[in-house]
Amino acid sequence: MKFFRILSCFIIFTFAVVLPTHAKDMVVKEPPKSLSQFYPPESKEPKWIQQMHKLSTHFGGVFINLKEKDFANVDKHADQLLEEYKKTSKMVPEWKDYFDIKAAEAFTQAAKTHDIAKAGKASGGLGKTCGKCHAEQEVSVWAQFHWPRFHKIKVTDPITEKEMGFDDYMSTISSSFKGVTVNFGEGQYGRSAKALKIFKSRFMEMKSTCSKCHTTDDVKLFYVGKIAESAFDNLAKELNAEKPNPGQFWKNVGLLGKTGCKHCHLTHRTASFIQETWEKE
Amino acid sequence: MKALKLSTRLLNLFTALACFAVAGIATAYFFINEKFEWIPQTVLELAREPDLLKRPDAKRCSDCHQAIYDSWKASRHAISWTSKTFIEASENRTKEKCLACHIPESVTGEKPSPRLDRRDEGIYCVSCHFRDNKMNGPYDLVAPAHPTFRNPEFVRSEFCGSCHQKTFKEWKNTGIDDTCQDCHMPRIKSRLTQKFPFSLLHKKKWVGNHKFLHGDLTEKNILMEAEFRNNYFTLRLLNKTVPHAVPTADNGDPRLYLYITFFNAAGEQVDQAKEILAPQQETALAFNKAVNFRYRLFDPVDHANVILKYQPAWSKEKQTIWEKLIRP
Repeated sequence: MKFFRILSCFIIFTFAVVLPTHAKDMVVKEPPKSLSQFYPPESKEPKWIQQMHKLSTHFGGVFINLKEKDFANVDKHADQLLEEYKKTSKMVPEWKDYFDIKAAEAFTQAAKTHDIAKAGKASGGLGKTCGKCHAEQEVSVWAQFHWPRFHKIKVTDPITEKEMGFDDYMSTISSSFKGVTVNFGEGQYGRSAKALKIFKSRFMEMKSTCSKCHTTDDVKLFYVGKIAESAFDNLAKELNAEKPNPGQFWKNVGLLGKTGCKHCHLTHRTASFIQETWEKE
Repeated sequence: MKALKLSTRLLNLFTALACFAVAGIATAYFFINEKFEWIPQTVLELAREPDLLKRPDAKRCSDCHQAIYDSWKASRHAISWTSKTFIEASENRTKEKCLACHIPESVTGEKPSPRLDRRDEGIYCVSCHFRDNKMNGPYDLVAPAHPTFRNPEFVRSEFCGSCHQKTFKEWKNTGIDDTCQDCHMPRIKSRLTQKFPFSLLHKKKWVGNHKFLHGDLTEKNILMEAEFRNNYFTLRLLNKTVPHAVPTADNGDPRLYLYITFFNAAGEQVDQAKEILAPQQETALAFNKAVNFRYRLFDPVDHANVILKYQPAWSKEKQTIWEKLIRP
């Protein structure tokens, strides 16, 4: 019975308080400049997120040890949580109002009673302070410090050998793709085959582009991998056939879309939209 | 008579002094080069320059090692943090993954950590040579100014593989004995120090070129065979001599561009093709492994012009490696 009480306290805290409770009209503002001192290149490591992990670990440590009746470690985590919370409150001056030291002290004291119900109740006051900051700032921090700036990426077009911005390259690659599909739809298979060569060359260039951030082959191949290569081979084979099979053609076009385009767009576009908005301001 | 006696005495005095000086230099030379372990530690401690053990800048090292400093200063390592290409590619140095190798704290054979100080110096003397409060290097020797340590890692490819991991793996797969240092740090017999009087007291040694030479590619390195047959033009490229992929890079984007242009009998261009051989596209030329390209010819072709160009990671300029005219 007690276990379920602990569990329910933890779940309520996690989902209702710590995890961001974003309002529908959430505003994503650029994070304060002072935060950059806790991220590369100003810092060797991403110290801010590491600090968040410390708080989260000590908070979790209190409840895990309460459950295990390891009270020495409950006290240890409670003290460390308070210490780190105080430290965090001084790291970004613009965010000092998010912190409530009294609430943190109250939680530490409650945890030290070793009464799970008291600790759970006191965690609510502390958790609200975390939740408010997460709701208002977490998306901005991730968009600013954890995602690359797509608009700054330069790509050398393999066809013209001219360097262009990432957004322009995306438009160029999209036009090349349409050269393949539109011509095929019109029965112009020769033109479609020529356009496919250009499109393939531009698509494969993305391997170099992805490698500007992704250093491991596995990640690169997630976007431009064997499925994409084989889809290109099949498309070329189809376009060089006496009578191309539309079913096969569109199936392979779909494979390219599902692997290369969709994988990347689903992963990256949201952050890219936010950054783009900030850069336009 | 008196004047003659005085001049003879003076001559004797100078001769004696010269003999002492030569004997002194000879003794010092002997001890420094042959029996330096006999020199008491307390004597060496008196000659130490403590700031050298506080991660000095490269210019400070040049006080003694001018020649090495000059070649390093002309190297890509010296501008690993300040080069325009790096600043652009790393989004104004914000990409965490780039920092470790562009401003390494200490290179030890494993991926280094980035440092916070003296970043403009890039990969500098201290990054590679300073470890455990000693200056590490390939030689066992005595240097009064700082403690030294002979570290065998300095002549092994693994050391360079701390950062050049992909290239190191490529080299290892070739089974070739020549190390990174053999080709990129060719040695010449010279002195490690140019500071007087130490320049006289140290024997000449084989000193590696700290410009970290980037070999020039020629047709001896990249062989080509081509032929026209049955409406197809086939071309074969072979990296014959470079014991890693060409081009190679862990994160940079060097490229070989292969341009093929087809002409008819009237000299008019009838078609063209292009291949990009780049490590980031997994199309670079592996050592001793031929790569074939095949092109269908739709119109009558009289000859093809084939050009191979190289573009290093740090430049937008391409250098022609070779150009060939191929006839059926």
